[in-house]
Amino acid sequence: MDETLLRVENITKRFGGVVALNDVSFTLNKGESVTLVGENGSGKSTMIKIISGIYSPDSGSLFIHNKQYTKISPIESLNEGIQVIYQDFSSFPNLSVAENIAINNLVLSNTRFVDWKHIKSLAQEGLNKVKVRIPLDALVGDLSAADRQIIAIAKALLADAKLIIMDEPTTTLTRKEVKQLFKVINDVNAQGISTIFVSHKLAEIREIGQRTIIFRNGQKVVDLPSKDLDIKTIEYHMTGHSIDISNLIYSEPKLEEIVLSVEGFTRANAFTDVSFQLHRNEVLGVTGLLGSGRTELALALFGQHPADSGTIILEKKKIKIKSIFDATSNGIGFVPEDRLKEGLFLSQSINNNISAKIIDSLKNKIGFIDGKKKSELSAEWIRRLKVKTPSDELPASSLSGGNQQRLVLAKWLAFNPKVLILNSPTVGVDVGSKTEIHDLIRDLASTGMGVILMSDDIPELMHTCNRILMMRKGRIVGDYLREEVDEEELNRQLIADTDPVRVVKEG
Amino acid sequence: MLKKFTRTNEFLILIIIIVLSTVVGLINPKFFSISTLFDLIRASNVYIILAFALLPVVILGGIDISFIAIAAMSAYATHMFLIARGYTGGILLYFVIACIIGGLAGLLNGLIITKFRLPVFDVSLATQTMWYGFTLFFIGATSNFSIPKGLVGYYANYLAKVTDPVTGDTGLHVSIIFVAVIGVLMHLMLKYTMLGRNIYAIGGNKDVAIRTGINHNKVTIVVFVIMGILSAFAGVLQSAFSRNFNPTLFIGQNLDVLAAVIIGGAALKGGRGTVIGTVLGVLLTQIINRSLVLTQIPAEWQKFFIGLVLIIFTALPALRQKRAAKLGLAVNNEVSGS
Repeated sequence: MDETLLRVENITKRFGGVVALNDVSFTLNKGESVTLVGENGSGKSTMIKIISGIYSPDSGSLFIHNKQYTKISPIESLNEGIQVIYQDFSSFPNLSVAENIAINNLVLSNTRFVDWKHIKSLAQEGLNKVKVRIPLDALVGDLSAADRQIIAIAKALLADAKLIIMDEPTTTLTRKEVKQLFKVINDVNAQGISTIFVSHKLAEIREIGQRTIIFRNGQKVVDLPSKDLDIKTIEYHMTGHSIDISNLIYSEPKLEEIVLSVEGFTRANAFTDVSFQLHRNEVLGVTGLLGSGRTELALALFGQHPADSGTIILEKKKIKIKSIFDATSNGIGFVPEDRLKEGLFLSQSINNNISAKIIDSLKNKIGFIDGKKKSELSAEWIRRLKVKTPSDELPASSLSGGNQQRLVLAKWLAFNPKVLILNSPTVGVDVGSKTEIHDLIRDLASTGMGVILMSDDIPELMHTCNRILMMRKGRIVGDYLREEVDEEELNRQLIADTDPVRVVKEG
Repeated sequence: MLKKFTRTNEFLILIIIIVLSTVVGLINPKFFSISTLFDLIRASNVYIILAFALLPVVILGGIDISFIAIAAMSAYATHMFLIARGYTGGILLYFVIACIIGGLAGLLNGLIITKFRLPVFDVSLATQTMWYGFTLFFIGATSNFSIPKGLVGYYANYLAKVTDPVTGDTGLHVSIIFVAVIGVLMHLMLKYTMLGRNIYAIGGNKDVAIRTGINHNKVTIVVFVIMGILSAFAGVLQSAFSRNFNPTLFIGQNLDVLAAVIIGGAALKGGRGTVIGTVLGVLLTQIINRSLVLTQIPAEWQKFFIGLVLIIFTALPALRQKRAAKLGLAVNNEVSGS
């Protein structure tokens, strides 16, 4: 079992003047599972790209099965059995499950003709290896993220992978699906196949992976058995300083002032008879698994997928939300889950992004945009939200994940909403920025708005919310005050789901 | 199986074709005749081959508008070359030479697109203009009506002949064999060869296809060579039908062909499209073109109706998605429950 599969020796990689990796070494044994942790820019992705042959290192070498490579080509890396599963799962949405699983083998086998029976038997073989059942004829574009992830693993196994590297595989999965994924990964390890699991979610690190490697600023700072690390230590090594969460200052809701009241909110196949009240200065958490109706509720409140029935009362006035326009004109703001696709104009400048929502208010007398007003506005929000950038003329795409999320917030805050809905605001954001965003959310609530935070990250809810609603199968099944509940209880409630798990029994 | 078929694009086109034909037939019974059918087939053949030329490009995720210029240039250049040498033979040599020229012209598109990583549309906009200009300047600017002996009667080379009291002699043109053969080969290529599957894969997700190790450049180049060859073939066929070789053949018709391909179920963003759908798409647009004349609706309305049909068919995937989103959870549960 202790046979070495991969040895990384003294790898250094520079991009221009920036040292992305500085003299990094580690080993990986057969069947071992390692978790690779680090903030954005710590060098994790660069390391993965070097192992998979996309980048070549400036110095140092890789040993795979004791064969030395000073640089490895993508094809050599594949031939050594190294498979990387990227965040997009490398799937073809327009092709069937069978073809998606079998395509690597088909491409590598250099055949000219396609035998569909062969494709199906290959795909079945791959799915058997992960012990999960998914219909072979289904189009991958119709499947959930969890299923696409499993298909990517089946595909890697079928291509005779010796090492599977997963780049933040749990970002789009809910707790239950993560559990299923971990079970699959354990099975894979038991078959003698190694895994490197790149993650941002600290809570997961101890559940998966025998060993944890932490990168910071291009250097390996920790390489220890996962059981010897606790979340605090990991946080400390990732950020280089400790994060104190014992003295969080929560916003104090004004219980006599109801900002938003929702009653009997229903949308077919999404959520049923949802009622709740949001108070001034309150951060209200809404949690639940994928399919619990959590995201659907957020989208309905924002008018993107409006509800079929129910009433909404905003500041004592009954309103109708049938479109996004209805929502924003009533003062409801929304920070989407996928900030890249839905939250920002990536190629536009930072100041354009900040002013996008309120561009009308920046008009001068003849109806042109007042450039001075605009730059004052953007300077103010950059300062207030601590967006780190040398200039607000740079495109939004130049910012790191955490700063992009701050920019999305700035865009909505400039609009001064009465209610701000945040949908999983810290997905893919590193620990340091995450804490700052949490601080910001609490601060926002204390300025007088009502905040609704949709998330399945329980610690996040505990760090920000005053009250937490639990959703299951489209209904609200729990209403907890933060002081009266703990993370364990919430986690238990979250996965207390009666849906059958789709793992095929062995034998 | 049958239920699955009723949900396809092809089924919808068939329904529209049947409804449209019935309505036109009721207004003007002449529409229901063998000669109308044979005329329709003959007129469609050329456009079906042009649509086949474009189909793999669309599945790949590109929009090409230069294929008609390649068709015109290849056919016209071949003709002027053969006439100058006093050629008197049949159409076969025309096909061979034109397809070589067309293949090379397609290769040029493919090379420019892959070498400089340019969008298909931009390159084809340039090469379209270039080929029409090239033909007019270097080869000739006027239609040429001197047809070699072997080609004179080709337009009426029928497999079966009918005599219609009104429209005279017509028949099932021999070119239907070409359409059938090319169609079957195209279908086999798309469904049962790695080349075909790679075309769909690239159209579905180009980045992943490249990461998977699919030789994206090679596939692109082959697709454009196929486009060039089939376009040239259609160019010769159309010229033989109209008994003159025209340097501006097909000009302005590229979007009509694209419309037929899209109506046939190919997705503009790539990854989707079938041979059967494409054939039905062309037939539907041709029926609209020809039948409206029989109903005495002014010709100007033809374009309007084709536009209308195009709106329906481009809106269709969006409507389906909307329905799927509405039923999203139910569908997901079904899958995960299985």
